[in-house]
Amino acid sequence: MRIGAYRLSVERAEAPSPPRVALGALLAVALALLLASVLFWTPESGPWTAYRIAFGYAFANPSGLGATVHRAVYLLLCTLAFLIPLRGGLWNIGLPGQVYAGALAAFAVPFWAGARELGSGTAGGVALLSMPLAAALAGASLGALVGLLRAKLAVNEILVTMMLNSVMFWLVSDFIKEGGAFMSATAEGESFTLPEAFRPPLPLGLPPSAFLGLAAAVVVDFVFSRAAAGYRVRTFGLNPQAARYAGIDPVRVSLWVFVLGGAFSGLAGYHYFAAVPGLYKIPTNYGYYGDLSFYGIICALIARGSAVGAVPMALLFAGLSVGGRFAQGALRLPFGVDYAILGLLMTTFVFSHLVDRYRVVWRRTAPAPTSAPPRPEGAR
Amino acid sequence: MNELLARSLEASTVFLLAALGELVNQRSGILNVGLEGLMLFGGTAAFLVAQSTGSYPAGLAAGIAVGGLLGWIHGLFSIRLRGDQVVSGMGLWILSFGLTTYLGSPHTGPLGLPRFPALVGLSPFVYCGTLLVAAVWFVLSRTSLGLAIRSVGESPAAAAASGVNVAGIRYLCVVFGGTLAGLAGAAYTLSYNPVWNYNFLMGWGFVSLALVFFSMWNPWVLLGGSVLFGAMWQLSLSPEYVLPGVLSRYVWRTVPFGVTIAILTVISTPWFRTRWGLAKPQALGVPYTD
Repeated sequence: MRIGAYRLSVERAEAPSPPRVALGALLAVALALLLASVLFWTPESGPWTAYRIAFGYAFANPSGLGATVHRAVYLLLCTLAFLIPLRGGLWNIGLPGQVYAGALAAFAVPFWAGARELGSGTAGGVALLSMPLAAALAGASLGALVGLLRAKLAVNEILVTMMLNSVMFWLVSDFIKEGGAFMSATAEGESFTLPEAFRPPLPLGLPPSAFLGLAAAVVVDFVFSRAAAGYRVRTFGLNPQAARYAGIDPVRVSLWVFVLGGAFSGLAGYHYFAAVPGLYKIPTNYGYYGDLSFYGIICALIARGSAVGAVPMALLFAGLSVGGRFAQGALRLPFGVDYAILGLLMTTFVFSHLVDRYRVVWRRTAPAPTSAPPRPEGAR
Repeated sequence: MNELLARSLEASTVFLLAALGELVNQRSGILNVGLEGLMLFGGTAAFLVAQSTGSYPAGLAAGIAVGGLLGWIHGLFSIRLRGDQVVSGMGLWILSFGLTTYLGSPHTGPLGLPRFPALVGLSPFVYCGTLLVAAVWFVLSRTSLGLAIRSVGESPAAAAASGVNVAGIRYLCVVFGGTLAGLAGAAYTLSYNPVWNYNFLMGWGFVSLALVFFSMWNPWVLLGGSVLFGAMWQLSLSPEYVLPGVLSRYVWRTVPFGVTIAILTVISTPWFRTRWGLAKPQALGVPYTD
């Protein structure tokens, strides 16, 4: 497009600067919130009222804040589960399946300890530690299967993880419904409630998985920016061919990123179903919690692969989903506001990703005048 | 048993329609991993329009139009803007998952219309799907348009040098793929299971995507694979026909997904690849820069 002596064009930008990337991420979130305001529009109240109710509940109400923080930890663990394979150029969208595997493995510990029949039981430190360990191992095993298939046979990891999500979804039903091993003795369709002895301590009101998630975010960023292992994963993610020439073993990279990713998802399953006060069971609507893990994908993508950068994103999106659901009830909005926001966030991310790759360039098309034009004769 | 057979064929058709569109997509070099999202949106649009107007044709048209529109959006991102096709596809899937949950949830429940009219005991979609397979095979292997589609999927630079409009052909294919995905969603919500539920597909789109890989990009093999998967899906819902009383019904529901992983693994082995030779389009998923 030509404007006067200038030509305006859109060109590809090879490497956007970090401030530009951060600005793009912020704009993506702001645009998603702006678009989501349409969902909150009712004849009785405008979007501002809805946002005030949502954010007020999520961040200013004591019970809402607790729910937000617990959900943020869950989202952060899911973010790490997606982010680590992503840095290696692989998509782990098997977060729900790995979350379910973690939850089942965690509940298997008190089940084998006989706590289901006793209703209480005694649990020492070993049992308490075994639950998150079992959860991480279960998630990691599922991840290892995906990583191995990808590394050894180049099986599409998106398809395999999606298939495993469905397999695990139905296996959870098998365990908690219609006389399943973990079914509650008093309520059909949900697991037994975790006896108090198997509930983790809550220093500062948070389960240990919360501190683990935060520490892991710092470690993950450190490894990716300073350690040789992180360098190998990043190189493989950017250019697998070049990585092979540099002696990086693709099998090891694919396997380990999925093992670690799966372990974090498994821990997320332990955190939400076995460590959050007020739940301590696998509820009937476990699918809702599983699907919430997809927010981890958005957090990682919008934070552009930075684990620490994903922490505020996880907190914001946790607040949005908790508060959005509260506003949905308060304003009698249709079910699914939180999922709709998830969809809008993904769309605005895709566009911000695109904006990163292009830049608007102004170019002068006519030569600039070197001196003032001669005055016509007689002009004063 | 006849009812089981008819239901199996209907299920097969949903897989077939979505996978056939994606096959054409992929033969032109464009991968759409958001196929499930297009089906969700197409199915929801068809359901809502049919319910509000009381007209099946209106519902079908809405499903097809929405699918085509989403296919075009994927094309815009992948072809014109040369974005990452996986990012775009995942974006479409998550957008569809989120928005259809919001838009459809007030209408949760049955469609409330008389049953979709059958033709000789079968849903008309079954005949439509089979005819489409023949049409797609004919176009891809016997016409100059098919040659152009295959050439842009194998080597877009060579196709462009021989005068083929690479972007135009790819747009045509992604919109066609989108309309078939929308039609597949409509076939699901209007005929196969006319009840709207949260995330009603639960993996059908991803199984359809896997079917394209199984088919080795051949429409007739795709038809066979779809019939097999439709039968397996229906049997997983009614296991009493095969092994009554063995395993819980929930474990049976995992079978189609487990088999999908197993087949994906087998067709990826060096033994299978060297023996049968996967006809994977060389330029699949690679943005074309002229």
